[in-house]
Amino acid sequence: MASRAIAAAVVAAAAVAFPFAAPHAEYAIDVLFLIFLYGAMATAWNYIGGFAGQVSFGHAAFLGIGAYTTMIMIQSNISLWIAVPVSALLPGLYSLLIGIPAFRLRGPYFSIATIGIGEATRLIALNLNSLTGGASGLTLASAPPKVVLYFAALALCAASIAIAAWIKSSRFGYALAAVRQDPDAAETLGVATTVTKTQALFLSACVLGVAGSVYALYYQFISPDSVFGFSTAISFVIMPIIGGIGTISGPLIGAVVYTFVREQLTALLANFSNADLLAFGLLLIAIVVFEPRGILGIVDMLRRRMRAKPPDAVADG
Amino acid sequence: MAETAAEATETILSGRALTKRFGGLVAVNDVDVDVQRGEILGLIGPNGAGKSTLFRLIAGIMPPTSGTVSFLGRGITGRPAHDVCVAGVVATHQIVRPFREMSVLENVMVGAFFGRRPRPHGVPAAREAALEALALCALETRANSPARALNLSGQKRLEIARALATRPQVLLLDEVLAGLNPTETDRTLELVREIRDRGVTIVMVEHNLRAVRGLCSRIVVLVEGRKIVEGDPDAVLNDERVVTAYLGATHA
Repeated sequence: MASRAIAAAVVAAAAVAFPFAAPHAEYAIDVLFLIFLYGAMATAWNYIGGFAGQVSFGHAAFLGIGAYTTMIMIQSNISLWIAVPVSALLPGLYSLLIGIPAFRLRGPYFSIATIGIGEATRLIALNLNSLTGGASGLTLASAPPKVVLYFAALALCAASIAIAAWIKSSRFGYALAAVRQDPDAAETLGVATTVTKTQALFLSACVLGVAGSVYALYYQFISPDSVFGFSTAISFVIMPIIGGIGTISGPLIGAVVYTFVREQLTALLANFSNADLLAFGLLLIAIVVFEPRGILGIVDMLRRRMRAKPPDAVADG
Repeated sequence: MAETAAEATETILSGRALTKRFGGLVAVNDVDVDVQRGEILGLIGPNGAGKSTLFRLIAGIMPPTSGTVSFLGRGITGRPAHDVCVAGVVATHQIVRPFREMSVLENVMVGAFFGRRPRPHGVPAAREAALEALALCALETRANSPARALNLSGQKRLEIARALATRPQVLLLDEVLAGLNPTETDRTLELVREIRDRGVTIVMVEHNLRAVRGLCSRIVVLVEGRKIVEGDPDAVLNDERVVTAYLGATHA
């Protein structure tokens, strides 16, 4: 437990120090920014997809609504201090539109509904020209310096993980775990399963909305196909599965792997568009077949093997 | 009821004209049932008589087609199971349903966290409440085992411990003796008595008639969805209609 806290503190300190140590490493800062932002979002996806076991393929809708809200409000000269909270709240409210009807049903209905809602949201954004600029997207003339947004993404990632840790160790976390493992038994023991799932989805959507804000400010450009895209939605599912679904640090680990693999493949195979999707498809198959608990599951398995060695073999280690 | 003032009892839970139809099948047909505070009421009947369905109607797991359920004088008909549990009526599942990825203790903590008020605040208080329920059910040494590692007898007691942790006023036990050997059966009967002595009213669906006779203060018999007899165990079990229902007309 203590060694984990130390490791987390070292990683956090290195992340904070990096822009000061290497202020001109723009590419590295770009990559780290993405890791933090994806880490924040994958961790938040996990509140509902992992802890409650309700897999969402529609989380890009929350990212996109947050991004567009910030973009539109700033273009209307509204302060960031107002734009960001509103960008958190709107996706939260939007999530209720999905959650309240879909969570009344058992089984895969929620997951199926999220695919429809995600795509419908993208199409609305694409066709609502007067508000969203349609397919050509929206651009921002000025935004806070990138290094400030780097720290914003880092803080959001830390906050998202802190929320995950709080959930896991709280009464709410017990409710979500009960809902995932046996909703009928949970219900007879007093857990209001529909309300519990809706709360987790709301919290998750709010974090995605803030991430959308930070994303819009960092790139100063958004379009329906980037923030609302189905491949974006799928990436939120891929990252927690790679790292370890339903765990606290798994989604961040998944975000690190996801971001590096995608950056490398995009650079290596410039002529092979979407090579990263092919690679992640194969990786997902391998994980589901060999170790459904992802990287953290592999680590756990290796640890158990080390411990299972006879005493004389352990002596030198 | 020919009861003297000293024996006068309070109806804690009652069902009126409860009916449940599944398409053309009437699983529960116009059943009235009253549960007295502090008693152990047995619900018996041949397979398919509608016992478990009646439990589900009372516990809010499914709504009745018609009829009403009231608890402490308030209507709870058709309210969802979690509401009924928080009100103070909890049911165990005939087929055990532990949260398989949780430890035994964590399973019981879910009940402690979400049952009837006042609820424990925070994880340590919930853990303490859960340990108390586990101790009563002789599971305290297995607190940290995964729930799926328990044998059937253990999982049945876990069902009871988890339900008890919700601080119920009425506990509905659905065939908690099924599949247990004689030693385990005796221990579970002892446990049910102990729970009653702590002030929890119990309704149990049971096939083991010997156990029912020794344990229950009253028995209700359901046959083909209808209540045919109710009353004192010895009288009910010797009733001609009950013997006919169980053994067929030629033995009556």
